Amino acid sequence: MAQTEEHAAKRITIEPITRLEGEGKIDIFLNDEGNVENAYFQVVELRGFERFCQGRPVEEMPRIVTRICGV
Amino acid sequence: MAKRIKLAIGLGSTCSGCDIAILDLNEKILSLVALADIVFWPTAMDFKLSDLEQMQNNDIDVTLYHGTIRTSENEHIAHLLRERSKVMIAFGSCACFGGIPGLCNLTNKKEILETVYKETPSTVNPEFTTPKTKIAQDGHDLTLPELFNDARALPQIIDVDYYLPGCPPVVELIEKLVPIIANFLEKGELPPKGTVIASDKTLCEQCPLTKENKMISRIFRPHEIIPDPKRCLLEQGILCLGPATRGGCGARCINARMPCRGCMGPTAEAKDQGAKMVSAIASILGVENEKDLSEGDVEKLMSQIKDPVGTFYRFSLPVALVNRRVKEGG
Amino acid sequence: MDGTDGFEPKIIGFCCNWCAYAGADLAGISRIQYPSNLRMIRVMCSGAIEVTYILEALQKGADGVFIGGCHPGDCHYQAGNYKTMRKIILAKQMLAQLGISPQRLKLEWVSAAEGQRFAQVVTDFIEEVKKLGPNPLCQEVTQHG
Repeated sequence: MAQTEEHAAKRITIEPITRLEGEGKIDIFLNDEGNVENAYFQVVELRGFERFCQGRPVEEMPRIVTRICGV
Repeated sequence: MAKRIKLAIGLGSTCSGCDIAILDLNEKILSLVALADIVFWPTAMDFKLSDLEQMQNNDIDVTLYHGTIRTSENEHIAHLLRERSKVMIAFGSCACFGGIPGLCNLTNKKEILETVYKETPSTVNPEFTTPKTKIAQDGHDLTLPELFNDARALPQIIDVDYYLPGCPPVVELIEKLVPIIANFLEKGELPPKGTVIASDKTLCEQCPLTKENKMISRIFRPHEIIPDPKRCLLEQGILCLGPATRGGCGARCINARMPCRGCMGPTAEAKDQGAKMVSAIASILGVENEKDLSEGDVEKLMSQIKDPVGTFYRFSLPVALVNRRVKEGG
Repeated sequence: MDGTDGFEPKIIGFCCNWCAYAGADLAGISRIQYPSNLRMIRVMCSGAIEVTYILEALQKGADGVFIGGCHPGDCHYQAGNYKTMRKIILAKQMLAQLGISPQRLKLEWVSAAEGQRFAQVVTDFIEEVKKLGPNPLCQEVTQHG
C-alpha cells in the first residue's frame, strides 16, 4: 500500500449514520483552512440477498425480500 | 435503587424491522420509557459509536441487540455492547439464530460479490470494483468492515442472557420486557439465564386450525391448491413449519392464511429446526401406503419439497448442526 | 485427492437392537473379519433415530453415518423402519443441498441372521467413504473476497 498523505487538518468521522435504516458512515476531510476538502459516504453493510435468493422457490420471495428493509 | 434502567438497542446486519417492532408498542412504549433511559439507539436517535466507546463497562443495564453478525463491525459492536452491558438480550431472529441473512451460508463471499458487483442486470461495473477493507482515495485512507464468509448468530460470538425471537418479534412478547425490567428495578431480580421470552411449546399448540391426524401423499405449492381455511395446512399438503417452530407469536401467519416459515426458531428440545421438520414430514407424508412404497417412490415423494434446506432453516441456518454449504473434494 | 492416502474413515453406525445390531453380534460370534472403522451405537429401533444424530455425527467429524434396521415388514415395532426410510431419504436430499455427498449416509436392512451380510455391507460402505475422502465439513475452506 503506497504511503498516503494525511492532511494536518481534521478528519471528522460520523459513525454510524443515524435515524435511518441501513448502516453507513461519513468521512469528512478538512483542508488547512478548515473547509471541507473531501467527503465520503460509505455503506458498511452487505448481506447478499441478490445471491442467496437464487435457488429459493419463487413463492417465498415476498417473505424473504421483505427482510431487506423492515421499515 | 435507580428510578430507571439504562437501555441500549444495538444492531448488527439488520433490516430494522426489530426497531420498528419496538415502535409498534405504540402507546405502550410509554410504559417502557417510564422504566428506561435509552442510552444508545442509532436507528431512532443520534447516538454514535464513540458514545458507546466512552461508556464504562456495565454502564448499560439492558441491551437489546438485533441483526445478524455478518461483518467485523457487527462483531465489534456486539463485543463492545457485551462489555458495556449487564444484561444482553438477543432480540429478533437474526440475533437469536442468524435470521434470513443466514441464508448466505448457502453461498459464499466470492459468489455474493460476483452477483452483487457484476452479474445483477442493473450493475455497470466493468472493472469489477468490489468493497475492500482499506483503500487509498485522493490521498486519504478509507476503511470498510470485513465481510465474513459466514453469517453467525449473536450467541455464537458473545455470552447472551436472554432471547426474544421473531421476525420481527411480536408486540405481545416485547411487552413482556416491561414487567421483567420493572422487577429488575424494584427487586434486582431477573429470570433464569438463557430464558427464551416466548412459548416453550411448538406453534401447533397455538394454531387455531383443526387437526385431524390426516396423512398426506402430496406436497402442494401455493398455486396448486386452494386450502380449506379451517384445517391444518400441513394435513392439506402445504408445507408449514409449525411442528418445528417455537410458539408465542400468536400464530399470526396462520391467522393470515399463510403457513409458518419458522421465524421463532426451534424449541429447546428440537436442537436443530431442519432435523425436527424432517421428522414431522416423515410422520405425515407417504405413511398411508408405506408398505407399498419403494425407495424410488419415497424419493419422488420427498423431491416434492423443492428447497428443504432453504425452507426448514429459513431463519436458523447459522445455528443449525450443519450450518453452511461445503464442497466435496476440498 | 490430497491427504487421502491411508485415509481411514470414521463411521458412526446406528443399529437397531432387534435386527442390525443382532446381525453385527452374529458377525462377531462367527469371527467374521471386517474393518474396524465403524463405531456402533445401539438403538431400539431405526425409526427412533433422529436426523439430529446424523447431522451431529457429521458436524463432529464423522466421515460417514451408517443406519442399520430391520427388513421392511419385519420391524419389531411394526412400522418404525418405514419411517426411517422416509427420514433418511429426505435427509439425503438436504445433505446434497449442503454440498455433502448423500453417499456418506447409508441405510441398510440387515436381519439378525445376516452376520456375513452385515460385515459385507459395512466393508462396502467403508470403501465408498474412502473414495469420497474426508468429511468436507472438516476441510479448511479458504475464500477469496
